Amino acid sequence: MSYIEVNGLKKSFTVKKKREKGKLFREKQIVEALKGISFSVDRGELVGYIGPNGAGKSTTVKILSGILTPDGGEATVGGRVPWQERREYVRHIGVVFGQRSQLWWDVPIIDSFSLLKDIYRLSEADYSSRLKELSEALQLEELMRTPLRLLSLGQRMRAELCGSLLHRPELLFLDEPTIGLDAVSKLALRDFLKWENSEHGTTVMLTTHDMEDIAALCSRVMVLGHGRKLYDGKLPELLEKYDTVRTVNVKYDAAHPELVLPEGVSAEWNDSELSLSYSPSKLPTAQLLALLQDAGRISEMTLQPENIDHLIAAMYKEMDL
Amino acid sequence: MRAYFSAFRMRLRLETQYRGAMIGGILCQLFFGIILVALYRALYAGRPQPIPIEHVTTYVWIQQSLFRMLTSTDVDLYDKIRSGNISYDLCRPVSMYWFYYFRAAAQKLMGSLMRGAPMIAFAALLPRGWGITAPDSLPAFALSIAALFPGFLCMCALENIAIGVTMRTLDPRGISGMLSLLMITFSGNLLPLTLFPDRWQAVIRWLPYSQLLDAPIRLYTGEYAPAEAVWIIPMQFLWAAVLMGLGMWLWDSNRKRLIVQGG
Amino acid sequence: MNTIKLYVRSMGMLMKSHMQYTSSFILQMLTQLVMEGGEMLAVILVVDRFEKVNQWTGGDLYFFFGMMSVSFYTTEIFARGITGDFPSMVRTGRLDTLMLRPRTIFFQVLCSGTDPRRITCIAVGVASLIIGSRMSGVEWSVLKALALTEAVLMSCMLILGLFLIEAIFSIHSVKSVELVNAITYGGRSACQYPTDIYPRPLKILFTVVAPFALTMQVPAAWILGKPLYGWPAWTAFVTPLSGAAVLALMIVLFNRGMKYYRSTGS
Repeated sequence: MSYIEVNGLKKSFTVKKKREKGKLFREKQIVEALKGISFSVDRGELVGYIGPNGAGKSTTVKILSGILTPDGGEATVGGRVPWQERREYVRHIGVVFGQRSQLWWDVPIIDSFSLLKDIYRLSEADYSSRLKELSEALQLEELMRTPLRLLSLGQRMRAELCGSLLHRPELLFLDEPTIGLDAVSKLALRDFLKWENSEHGTTVMLTTHDMEDIAALCSRVMVLGHGRKLYDGKLPELLEKYDTVRTVNVKYDAAHPELVLPEGVSAEWNDSELSLSYSPSKLPTAQLLALLQDAGRISEMTLQPENIDHLIAAMYKEMDL
Repeated sequence: MRAYFSAFRMRLRLETQYRGAMIGGILCQLFFGIILVALYRALYAGRPQPIPIEHVTTYVWIQQSLFRMLTSTDVDLYDKIRSGNISYDLCRPVSMYWFYYFRAAAQKLMGSLMRGAPMIAFAALLPRGWGITAPDSLPAFALSIAALFPGFLCMCALENIAIGVTMRTLDPRGISGMLSLLMITFSGNLLPLTLFPDRWQAVIRWLPYSQLLDAPIRLYTGEYAPAEAVWIIPMQFLWAAVLMGLGMWLWDSNRKRLIVQGG
Repeated sequence: MNTIKLYVRSMGMLMKSHMQYTSSFILQMLTQLVMEGGEMLAVILVVDRFEKVNQWTGGDLYFFFGMMSVSFYTTEIFARGITGDFPSMVRTGRLDTLMLRPRTIFFQVLCSGTDPRRITCIAVGVASLIIGSRMSGVEWSVLKALALTEAVLMSCMLILGLFLIEAIFSIHSVKSVELVNAITYGGRSACQYPTDIYPRPLKILFTVVAPFALTMQVPAAWILGKPLYGWPAWTAFVTPLSGAAVLALMIVLFNRGMKYYRSTGS
């Protein structure tokens, strides 16, 4: 049996609509956030969980972290059912919400950590060795005496990570952890997650809108839309299906050489510079290169894959999300 | 002028939105009213007072019904002050004093009408000595309604003073908290002013706070004879003018301070 | 043991946070003092005009006011998380983060708020208690002091229990907070006077539903030498326990209510 087993998970919410004119009471509407989701995750996996806003990502995370009780279906994590025995269960997991702090706002972060030690009933020895390890890995040593509210967003996220990993959880949920972070902070965060995963075998489940996060971290990705699972597998394989176009930029020595391109290739000239896009499946790349070289002396050339966000957008569009 | 009127209308519409909260609020205020009436009845049973109990219960019900007129505040505006966004508003080409005056007026008017009307209807159904009694006379009734208007003007002016003070201190729980305490106490909401020691009353009746609801209620019950309205209503208007002047001065000096500090 | 230590440490941390804004804190403490003074003024004026109500003298009325004031604001100091912050914790999703920790929600909410400004309100209440007991000529004994302590403690539990109703309402995202205020703040206003002066329906309400009559009035009557309905002295120690009973019941209902918590957002 896998570490996380989810079977036919369902959850719906009643939402009150805005009161219409002339009606005394507001009408209620039932929104199915999850319409029966199933998947399994092995111990030590790094899984990306993506989908447009309102797809049901947060609902899944909230159910699996014991905050919500589902209406139907089953789920076990490490043999435990999250929404039963919540207190025993959450001892084994850590959760980081990108937009919600779990630490205390006005006090030095070390005080927050020390309170978490008591909340999780950690032993002094265990706590101090883990804190030392994490604060080195997250470069928090210098910041320990600073109140959370005085930290930058990147520093704050590192502190949150430290707080949610102090009790050595087996499973870490990250809900949009890189939102609003600058490039340096993002890279550092990704490095840390890789390190934690390989060092301690922590299973990581990551929801994000940042495809770079997924590409850098997750070998496996699940796509969610309208409360259903639409894809489950490797990211490259998913992208391949939508990755049909390549862009080529060529710069020639002389201006505007003679070049006849086959149909289906769109090209744009700008003096000696050419920019074109083509589908490798229709026109083999070798054939295109030969054509380009015959036309004149090439001084510079770049070949680009499609931007990952465009691919995801294309995919969402095709899946009708 | 149109800006002020549309501010008024927008706020009116907003006030009609929260129906669930309104019903809860009415029930809560009814409960408070019943407790107070029961308390004064018990107190009267031991030691009757010159003012009849019917007048006291009427006093209590009118105060409770129009409670929102005293206490409803513009939460958005206070948030704006705390976040500092108010400085953009203060530098707009319309008079912000009047803009917010009309907003407060709409909020207080709608809030107290929507809650007050059902409450007064309820209190009128209660037996004599528990509920609200008929006005002393027809002129008394007409004059008390007339006196509500300048009382309402005073109310909104006091609100704007509290806001002006908060713009200075940036903390609504400090000085403006004390201002609202003064108001609750000396407007007769905490304890009917008619039950204050007689010597205190000689002073309190001249304060701006007793112009809000106390003066109209006393006209209604006949505590003030209709003839006395000749000086009561002008005094109310006088206070309204004074409070508005004070508020405008406060807002204006806040604006100047902002400009001097460079926002 | 660990639980008590954790509570004390959490409170210490919250105090530290409050102390980050010292001047505003002191100003607010003064405001609270004036406000509670205003509440007491109303009682003073009532006593000035009416002198007594039923068998209760002015001193007795001050005593009752003091008891309620001390109980109510002690609850606010030690359980602000329930009495004040809970609805916003639901709204902002802070409650979610509490659910991720291996402790009961009720306990964690208790640990997440304090309102130390209320200390001045308690001072007013204590002053009123002292004035009242002097005026009524209470002869203090260890037993009476015990009865008073128990009464205050149990009233705190009762008040906390009543505020839990509000918390349960907000779990289900019912916005009629004002309605629930009727029982909490309304209960305080009503029961700062002896409850036996009220007509029968209110008396029943304050004996059965929100039993301030049992947690406060029975012991107070015994301390003031006016045993209610001629009940024996031991009742002054037994009836206040209803406060703990109400709290226990409400905690059970609260925990059940948390099962239906639906969090915010998608």
